[in-house]
Amino acid sequence: MDQPSAEDDQRGLPTGYQQRPHRMNSRFKATLVLRGLVVLFVGLAAAFLLNLWGRPAPLHPIPLVDPAFLDTATVRRSYADLVRAKEDLSDFDCYACHEKNKPPVLRYDEHQNLLIPREHSDIVMGHGQHGRNNNCFNCHNETNLELLQTRDGRQVKFADSSQLCGSCHGPTYEDWEVGAHGRISGYWNRSRGPIKRQDCVNCHNPHAPPFPSRPPAPGPHLLHELAEAPVPAATAH
Amino acid sequence: MTRALRDYLVFLRRCGRIAFVGDWRYYLWMGVLTVFCLLGLNAYAKQLVNGLITTGMSDQVSWGVYIANFTFLVGVAAAAVMMVIPVYIYDNEELHDLVIFGELLAVAAILMCLAFVTVDLGRPDRFWHLIPGLGQLNFPASMLSWDVIVLNGYLLLNVHICGYLLYCRYRDMKPSQWFYIPFVFVAIGWAVSIHTVTAFLYVGLGGRPFWNSSIVGPRFIASAFTAGPALIILALQIIRRVTEYHITDRALLTLRGIVQVSMLINVFLLVNEVFKEFYTGNSVASSQYLYVGLHGYHALVPWIWTAITFNLVAMFLLVLPLSRSLKWLNLTCVLCIVGIWIEKGMGLVIPGFIPTPLGQIVEYRPSLNETLICVGIWAFGLLSYTVFLRMSVPILQGRLAKTNESLPDPGMDGAPASLAAKP
Amino acid sequence: MDRRSFLRTSAVLASGLAALAASLSPLRKLDDYVSLERFVQKYYKELTPEEMKQVLKRIENEVERQYGIRPHVRDLKPMDGVEYVYALNLTRCIGCRKCVHACVQENNLSRTPEIQYIRVLKMPHGSLDVEKGEHNYAPESVPEKGFFYMPVQCQQCKNPPCVKVCPVHATWQETDGITVVDYDWCIGCRYCEAACPYWARRFNFTQPSIPKERINPDMAYLGNRPRRQGVMEKCHFCIQRTRVGRYPACLEVCPAGARKFGNILDPNSEVSYILRTKRVFIQLKEELGTSPRFFYYFDT
Ligand code: SF4
Ligand code: SF4
Repeated sequence: MDQPSAEDDQRGLPTGYQQRPHRMNSRFKATLVLRGLVVLFVGLAAAFLLNLWGRPAPLHPIPLVDPAFLDTATVRRSYADLVRAKEDLSDFDCYACHEKNKPPVLRYDEHQNLLIPREHSDIVMGHGQHGRNNNCFNCHNETNLELLQTRDGRQVKFADSSQLCGSCHGPTYEDWEVGAHGRISGYWNRSRGPIKRQDCVNCHNPHAPPFPSRPPAPGPHLLHELAEAPVPAATAH
Repeated sequence: MTRALRDYLVFLRRCGRIAFVGDWRYYLWMGVLTVFCLLGLNAYAKQLVNGLITTGMSDQVSWGVYIANFTFLVGVAAAAVMMVIPVYIYDNEELHDLVIFGELLAVAAILMCLAFVTVDLGRPDRFWHLIPGLGQLNFPASMLSWDVIVLNGYLLLNVHICGYLLYCRYRDMKPSQWFYIPFVFVAIGWAVSIHTVTAFLYVGLGGRPFWNSSIVGPRFIASAFTAGPALIILALQIIRRVTEYHITDRALLTLRGIVQVSMLINVFLLVNEVFKEFYTGNSVASSQYLYVGLHGYHALVPWIWTAITFNLVAMFLLVLPLSRSLKWLNLTCVLCIVGIWIEKGMGLVIPGFIPTPLGQIVEYRPSLNETLICVGIWAFGLLSYTVFLRMSVPILQGRLAKTNESLPDPGMDGAPASLAAKP
Repeated sequence: MDRRSFLRTSAVLASGLAALAASLSPLRKLDDYVSLERFVQKYYKELTPEEMKQVLKRIENEVERQYGIRPHVRDLKPMDGVEYVYALNLTRCIGCRKCVHACVQENNLSRTPEIQYIRVLKMPHGSLDVEKGEHNYAPESVPEKGFFYMPVQCQQCKNPPCVKVCPVHATWQETDGITVVDYDWCIGCRYCEAACPYWARRFNFTQPSIPKERINPDMAYLGNRPRRQGVMEKCHFCIQRTRVGRYPACLEVCPAGARKFGNILDPNSEVSYILRTKRVFIQLKEELGTSPRFFYYFDT
């Protein structure tokens, strides 16, 4: 290392330029610092090129949602749907088993619960509360089983079952008529295309109308896997 | 005309050259800052490529430490004016030259602010959409557009005032009143406005009750006028130590007076806020999260209580005569700065997002990359401030002047002298 | 300057510049910003029909290159005399989240990382306070006793705070009431996200990813065309469907028929009927004065 002399430093400087006398080794230190910086910069460059830190963590792919959740099909299919799809209508062929002109006999247990015959074991009687609706012929026509019938005796075809529902559920039927109750699809702008309305039985099982429960689609994922609050108020299980 | 231009260019060149000359401490300091700048730049390059996913932000907490630092630094920039007011309004001779150091700090702080906003953008390549005429600046509806105008305006004002005064000193002329006094007064109003507008950035969001409160604006100003002068007190002492620039203790104590009053107001406003939040028992969820934790989440609780403790201790030190001794004053200033930095960042920006408007709680933790970018920008700011001082101190001392143009710049005649010419 | 100090200075300079260049080396992988065409693209409202045609073609090409599917991208304008309103029946919603995923599918939302416009909250009976809602419910089956479900998405406010705060007019309200985002104009400041009281806006924190086989090729400029890194997006009432007269995807998939949509200016629309006849309907956070076009109601 070269050792500059004090005069060296001050050469040719006018008054006011003179520096505070400094220690002899300041130049040596400066050289050292600058050398150090060179080393540091080169090291830094290498580290940058090798991409030593801050590599983004790979994103774990979130599984694609089951297409079943994207399905727009209704919960059930109505008689009209089956006819349209030309599918098996044997369920509605009552006289394959029953005898014409001979109304079936209804039987009850001691609590006035309707006893469902084995042939109809798929039927759950759940329409209305307190067993008030425990008579098949509240809705089915006693003499012609291939027809439905309102309480005031109006006969209704299976394809028009919604009218039967409307005979009791007036306000809901009104909502349904304007499209405010029940599912719709197609065009909101009727001048651009048709609206498709569903029948009551597309969603409600006439024998047990409450809307069925179903598994929910997967919930949301966070961008970073940080903790998230399960809000206590809503965790009831 | 051409002569004036030539003179000016010579001035700029000499300023530029002097920035690269100094003693070993200067080189070490600048070198280390450069290293941090580069680390930040590298981190930003990664962020540009991969997107803001490299930060800890998310749709739930969509602003983080970038905007927190931005908010703090706007306050620092605004506070430079606190030195200007006594000088020009009360003719406090003590602070006269120091105003320039304060305003240079404002310039450096604004540069950092602009950098912090830029790194927060998802599409910095589209910055030109903000330029009136070219783009579509949504003025006056958007508070952010106000901020863009106000910050850039403040930058220009301060660059003008400092530049003009320094250049006059360099040429040894008496500055013409008309060229800077009006600007000084505009700058005083403007300084308050930059911080108010930044506060309105938050206050204007009706969907975030934590911010949508009228106390946020006053608290911004009070805390800025605490942290800013505190920072200047420290900066002045460093200048005094490493250069021969003479700064009196009385000047520092004048600033102490400002910090004192601001801190008292700041703590008073804090008490108001805390009282309103908790006495009635219907505090907003974000305040609960911040001060006591919410549903078992309390990442910010230690931070805010540290900040409050610092502020309270600083306040007591400030009102005691003890802090007239520089050692204690420095400690107090550090407490003020750290306390307010936490309060503005961790304490204001982040809890505003927790819980989300739909009640979801997702906590925020800055990522390594994000932290490096912040460190880089701070280093860049310090680097700028150092360079500004490196240029302005010799000018103010008369060592860099037009009269010695023909002479080598202080410390410019080769390496040995350059080392000697440490200001 | 003597030789020695010159060498020293150059060494520092050279190594510094090397470090600078190396620090920028990650930019090699930067391909999203390099297209000049995209960089200078004009604001949506300033594009002439001719330019719009060019832009749409360019987008179609880009999508085809990226996903191997030729999309049909349209610039659909609002219809005259139409103002959309959504009504959601809280009595009917069962919380199945089918709407969430139908929306993802219809609108080409990123799968990883996940972007969803609809968030369904599970709420305890008796309160409409969203802070009581649970986001991550995952029982065997829904609905659960004692709870109701409240799906939240963009409320298409009449007085939208997000529009007010955007510094570059990148998001605005159209005459039919839909608040849209120009994905090619947004600078990604996320101010709108902070301003939205319904947490309806989503930011692309990185390049979105959509599997090729799940691309919906029927696209609109202000709607479901694929987005890029660094921009904001949000529910737009399925512009690509509703502006040609169709119902939104979330409505059509809802098994419970809880969702109703239509033109409030048409007295015969379902939504007009609902707002006329239902006794209670709720605008979420009504007190904020945002005046949502999204109504929650109960029946029976
Ligand atoms: S993120 Fe985009 S749309 Fe939202 S305020 Fe910023 S520029 Fe506007
Ligand atoms: S699809 Fe319908 S029932 Fe299911 S969560 Fe959405 S609105 Fe509710």
